[in-house]
Amino acid sequence: MRQRGMILSRRALLGGAASAGVLASLAGVVRAQPAAIRLGTLNPLTGSGGSYGPSMRKAMEWVAQEVNAAGGVNGRQVQLFSEDDQTNPEAAVRAARKLIDIDKVAAVMGTWASAVTTAVAPLCWESKTFLTTVSGSDTITQLPHNGYLIRTQPNTHLQIGKLGEFLLSLRVKRVFTLAAQTPFAVPSQKRLQEILPRGGAETVGSVIYDKDKTTFRSEVDQALRAKPDMIYLNGYTPDCTILMKELFKAGYTGAKVAQGYAVNTKLLGQLPAEVTDGTYTATPSPAVESAGYRRLAKVLGTDDLDPYSCQCHDHISLVLLAVAHAKGEASGTAIRDHVRKISQGNGVKVDSAVEGLKLLAQGKDVNYEGASGSCDFTELGDILDCKIRFDQAQGGKFKFVKLI
Amino acid sequence: MGSELAQLLVNGLVAGIVLAVPAIGFTAIYAVLRFPNFALASHATIGAFAGYVANATLGWPAWAAVSVAFVVAGIAGVVNDQLVLRPLRPAGALTTAIGAVALTIVLENVVRFVFGNDLRGYALPIRRDWQWAGIRIGPQQVENLAIAVAAMLAVFVFLGFTRTGKAMRAVADDPTLAGLKGIDAERVARLTSFGGMGLAGVGGMLLGLDTTIDPLTGFRVILSVFAAAVVGGLGSIPGAVVGALTIGVAEELSLISLAPAYRTAVGFVAILLVLTLRPRGLLGERAY
Repeated sequence: MRQRGMILSRRALLGGAASAGVLASLAGVVRAQPAAIRLGTLNPLTGSGGSYGPSMRKAMEWVAQEVNAAGGVNGRQVQLFSEDDQTNPEAAVRAARKLIDIDKVAAVMGTWASAVTTAVAPLCWESKTFLTTVSGSDTITQLPHNGYLIRTQPNTHLQIGKLGEFLLSLRVKRVFTLAAQTPFAVPSQKRLQEILPRGGAETVGSVIYDKDKTTFRSEVDQALRAKPDMIYLNGYTPDCTILMKELFKAGYTGAKVAQGYAVNTKLLGQLPAEVTDGTYTATPSPAVESAGYRRLAKVLGTDDLDPYSCQCHDHISLVLLAVAHAKGEASGTAIRDHVRKISQGNGVKVDSAVEGLKLLAQGKDVNYEGASGSCDFTELGDILDCKIRFDQAQGGKFKFVKLI
Repeated sequence: MGSELAQLLVNGLVAGIVLAVPAIGFTAIYAVLRFPNFALASHATIGAFAGYVANATLGWPAWAAVSVAFVVAGIAGVVNDQLVLRPLRPAGALTTAIGAVALTIVLENVVRFVFGNDLRGYALPIRRDWQWAGIRIGPQQVENLAIAVAAMLAVFVFLGFTRTGKAMRAVADDPTLAGLKGIDAERVARLTSFGGMGLAGVGGMLLGLDTTIDPLTGFRVILSVFAAAVVGGLGSIPGAVVGALTIGVAEELSLISLAPAYRTAVGFVAILLVLTLRPRGLLGERAY
């Protein structure tokens, strides 16, 4: 027995030595290939943002592919981990936990709904993960995020300020707001109350409704009792579809205005033209003239890119350029410290990550201006300026009105 | 104020009657199978989409599309019950209810896979409402009302006057006694699943006729359906109707003093109040 035990242990020793050798050589292989840069995408593939998420994600995947094909960032490949936020804060928090704790990503990119971003942001800044978002609510950049957050969507203050100017140019007098319950509902209303009196108009009331309800007859009744000549529909596509039908049925003939993400071509396709005709929409305008926009439009196979896909294209580009500027350090803190060094300033203007990476490798400074706009950020993480485009629905199609 | 109140009452009654259709389905399944079948949410969605295909793709009128919604949701109900929920039943009502929640999420995603996430509207003309004395009601609402009332009448006639309907009530009242009388409980269970989920499908479509449908259509309404069934008395079919009308009217009347954003809370409060003050619901749990 004893002898057998000896043989066994000798075998085990030999086996152990052999496997140690294999492991050592494997480690060598791993060392030869530098670890990939791990980034997370968190988009609304389902829920009320579901019509935007898939193309937002595609835009980011394309940038990653292009960068990888051109040799990566400082020789490191980019690896994306993608999750669906379901346009739902609870689902988004679970997904973000997975991205941060298990996938160990340096940045989470592309959250859409303000409620989702508000829920996910604390997880990010506490774990020193960088967060890029397309949400517009003012409250988001006011969170104590220590710089771990930037957004490419103009905030409510900027957007509603321009909307107010537009409404005054239409010479409306009595504006009523029907708003979905979201973090931007109250700030939007307050901003309108500030702007409208400057041109002799007023807000005659507002209703904040539960967007998951299937009927809004009573809300519409409440709006009509205030006798408005303009109704601002500040919600998402599903509820705006129902509201527009119900306003029509109730015999409302005044004007309507809504955000472009809510009243979009899909909604126009759903409803008869007589219901949607005359409705104005306000959309933060991507940089439609830029080469970045045209390239992305070609890749995604459309002439009319939504602003969020453009913004997501810029999110990943900014993150990768920041990593490169930080000499390849792929951490949330490095991205935070370097993102403004490649997004603004006097460097060479670039509109693609691949081009920017090339210049950075040559030791030059870059100033990224992407498909969504100039991408210059304040200390809080807001963008400095953005054009808003106003369209009007006519015969089931949008007609350009003006850019403010 | 008077016309505002009257308008809220009209809105509440219409919403309540449409809500009553899936609530009857929910309570009937509870009466016979003795578990809250939350998979009703996805069957309402399945019915809404089946009706959509009949109406928007095949060009059938709304009333004919409603029967398609009933049959397709009913068949889906039987198949899903036999394959998924029946094996869970020996483990108890709680396990089966949890299984039903899981089932509904899976089915909702199947609908999403097939039809995508987009909103869809039925191919119906959008007509202006009729107005008189400051109160308005839509032609579509009146049509929905008629379909809902017809569906409910059919249920009552079926349960009251047909042999199978009586067998169903017997199983609901006392399964053991019904078994002794030679009633096949399994057959009754299948029929109840068919009828109950069929009604859910009709409810899903009625909700969508006036608004739009998407894969979450059923999910949005399941809380109100559950509240209606509990308020009326789980297992009582007239109770489901009373409960649905109560919830419908209460949700609307709450708007006098509450912001619309809190309207969903009315369903929760109603459940809590009824369970505290009258645990068996307004009409108790006798099936019929």
